[in-house]
Amino acid sequence: MFGINRIIRFESNYSFMDYRKLFFVVSLIFILISIFLLSFRGLNLGIDFKGGTLIEVNTINSDIGELRSILSPKFNDVTLQEFGDSNTIIIRLQNESNNESIQTINKVKLLISDKVSEFRRSEFVGPTISSELLWKGLQAIIFALIAILIYIWLRFEWQFGFGAVVALAHDVIFTLGVLSLFSIDFSLSSIAAVLTIAGYSINDSVVIFDRIRENLRKYKKLELPDLFNISINNTLSRTVMTSLTTLIALICLYFFGGEVIKPFAFAMIIGVLIGTYSSIFIAVPTLLLFKFRPQEEDNKLI
Amino acid sequence: MKNYPLWKTTLVIIVVLSGIIFSIPSIVYKEESGNWFFDNKVNLGLDLQGGSYLLLEVKTEVLFKEELDNISDSLRLIARNFQTNISDIKAEKDQIQIRVTHTDNIEQIRKEFLNNYRNVSVVINNNTIKIIINDLFKKSIQESAIKQSLEIVRKRIDESGTKEPLIQRAGKNRILLQLPGIKDPERIKELLGTTAKLTFHMVDDDDNISLKANRAPFGKLIVSDYYDANIKYIVEKKARVGGENLIDAKASFDPQQGNAVSFRFDTTGAQKFGKATSSNVGKRFAVILDGVVITAPVINSAITGGSGIITGNFTSQEATDLAVLLRAGALPAPLEIVEERSVGPGLGADSIKAGKIAAILGMLGVCIFMILIYGPFGFIANMSLIVNLFIIIALLGTIGATLTLPGIAGIVLTIGMAVDANVLIFERIKEEFNKNVKIFAGVKNGFDKALSTILDANITTLIAALLLFVFGSGPIKGFAITLSLGIIASMFTAIVFTNFLIYFWLSISNKKEINL
Repeated sequence: MFGINRIIRFESNYSFMDYRKLFFVVSLIFILISIFLLSFRGLNLGIDFKGGTLIEVNTINSDIGELRSILSPKFNDVTLQEFGDSNTIIIRLQNESNNESIQTINKVKLLISDKVSEFRRSEFVGPTISSELLWKGLQAIIFALIAILIYIWLRFEWQFGFGAVVALAHDVIFTLGVLSLFSIDFSLSSIAAVLTIAGYSINDSVVIFDRIRENLRKYKKLELPDLFNISINNTLSRTVMTSLTTLIALICLYFFGGEVIKPFAFAMIIGVLIGTYSSIFIAVPTLLLFKFRPQEEDNKLI
Repeated sequence: MKNYPLWKTTLVIIVVLSGIIFSIPSIVYKEESGNWFFDNKVNLGLDLQGGSYLLLEVKTEVLFKEELDNISDSLRLIARNFQTNISDIKAEKDQIQIRVTHTDNIEQIRKEFLNNYRNVSVVINNNTIKIIINDLFKKSIQESAIKQSLEIVRKRIDESGTKEPLIQRAGKNRILLQLPGIKDPERIKELLGTTAKLTFHMVDDDDNISLKANRAPFGKLIVSDYYDANIKYIVEKKARVGGENLIDAKASFDPQQGNAVSFRFDTTGAQKFGKATSSNVGKRFAVILDGVVITAPVINSAITGGSGIITGNFTSQEATDLAVLLRAGALPAPLEIVEERSVGPGLGADSIKAGKIAAILGMLGVCIFMILIYGPFGFIANMSLIVNLFIIIALLGTIGATLTLPGIAGIVLTIGMAVDANVLIFERIKEEFNKNVKIFAGVKNGFDKALSTILDANITTLIAALLLFVFGSGPIKGFAITLSLGIIASMFTAIVFTNFLIYFWLSISNKKEINL
């Protein structure tokens, strides 16, 4: 059709395994950078996990500086930020006690009410809740990883599980590193993004693993690197297609889905890109650490 | 379509049709119509329709403290009866330590005390008596406080005129409130932030020595004035009448004193109040609300009618709110707002609009791309995708799930990922065709070989989504729901509906060769 399928529909025959060392090194560098960023710069935790107050307003012709000059003298720890366009402004206040917060929101509203056409949202998360949310988010991620591992282990040999988990950890750490680098607001929906990325990463690896398992039965004599190459090439157009359709949807979400959802869409886009890369260049090469054909060696002995 | 099993055709038709039919209510989106069919529509979360979500914590520690106070008072009385002096009282979180001057009667004190109190343990060590509230007692105090609080919160919200509030208990000591479409969450928060414990006490105006020393004698309390914290009163600790005896309270206006709240006692209250006022003419009584004196008028004559007015420097809104609070009754313990999320109707509407645009554009993009790559098969995949969306919406509507902003993101994400199963199948079919397998056999083999991969690939994502549902909170649950439904629906549409369409297309087009 229209010739486009010729571009994407490669009857591909790439030797991915030849470059595995190069990609391992590249990935290792990126992971180290990510870990470095995460430990020294950290994630830009939003009020979900840090606690505090957030107020989003639409202003009538006043700019962020004007609001800042009103609020800054009255509150110790107040930050203002444009949100999407210059008329929409987010006001963040830090760490008061629960009781204070009720008055804080009210106080802010009174101070700027004549500059504001609409109070779009106000959020307050108390210190007990924010630590609970963080703990629950971590639990969700840990349990999901364990559950996915168990599933992979039941359906495949454990070596595949290992490969999938290495790739998954790679994807999650890398994505978190990017979120840290760009100071993307890390909120509840970021936990959702991380888990979905985990699901997607495994999904991508599983499809290739499925083919490897099938080919292991089909080509009994083939060297493992060649067999892996064939398997990746067999599934390559699927891998690319699915990533592209998912990216199309996510890019639409990023540009048109509204400001609130943007950090989620951003994290997902990074995750899908890196997940696609890692299933080919990390998950599969990791399998080379193991011997898959003990029976072959047995034959030789006989 | 010969050889295509009848049951499969029937299944496809039933599922697809009901998917379309049951998504109609959500798509046309009317207000509640009372019609069971049209009320099966998707509920919008507070982040989309606008409204307030509040999480309140019942501060039960205060109750333990009150209980310890009671215990220490009655212990003091008992000790006095046994001619024993108390030299020191120390109250901690859930226990109280009392040191007595001599230990002769300590056993009798303990026995007498235990006659009055169960559910506490008493430990005697030399001249100290340690009283610990046990866990069972604590739990029962906590339980009844939360049940009562729920009741009172419900009354206050109803009185405030909020429509369709959702009020439920959350966890051990929290109350969750969802107030759709609320315009002024600040007022609600103020209503809930007030305990509204109203009591009437007699004022002791003679004891100036204690007042100066700022030390209340036994059985008395020092309370400050609401409007000027420097003004103090000595009042009897025991209230003569309390808010629980009120049957009505209304905002009113007094020509001399301005805004006021008029109230009426029930029979018991009226009797108690009548007795207190008739025997104390010329003295003052204090109206105490949440630990401060609002007003302390002189009793000019016995008040036996059981009604009266409370004046203070109220604004009319304050008077109205106080009346609401008094009608609804006092909270057993203070409530603290620990989480709030309020979304205005403007942002909600914008989010829906943006979500729709993103979904439609994403859909168009994916559909065009699929047709460019797979031609007629791409068209079939697109049909599947559309049916997939109908099924998601129909399921959301019929199970009564709530659609949130992350939920919309989940749907858009599903649009991108749902074609995956189709792609897996098409790629397998393509391989079969490349091996020069005949059309029908190639299609069949393609489906058979793709099946286990589709299951493996989707179940892993489903696991992540389910755990997100279990541990996620609020709007994130909405994401987990749409993603899970999307994955399940996409497996069905790919394995069953796409299969049906391909066979249908092949049988009517009579193709001998397909360039996939």
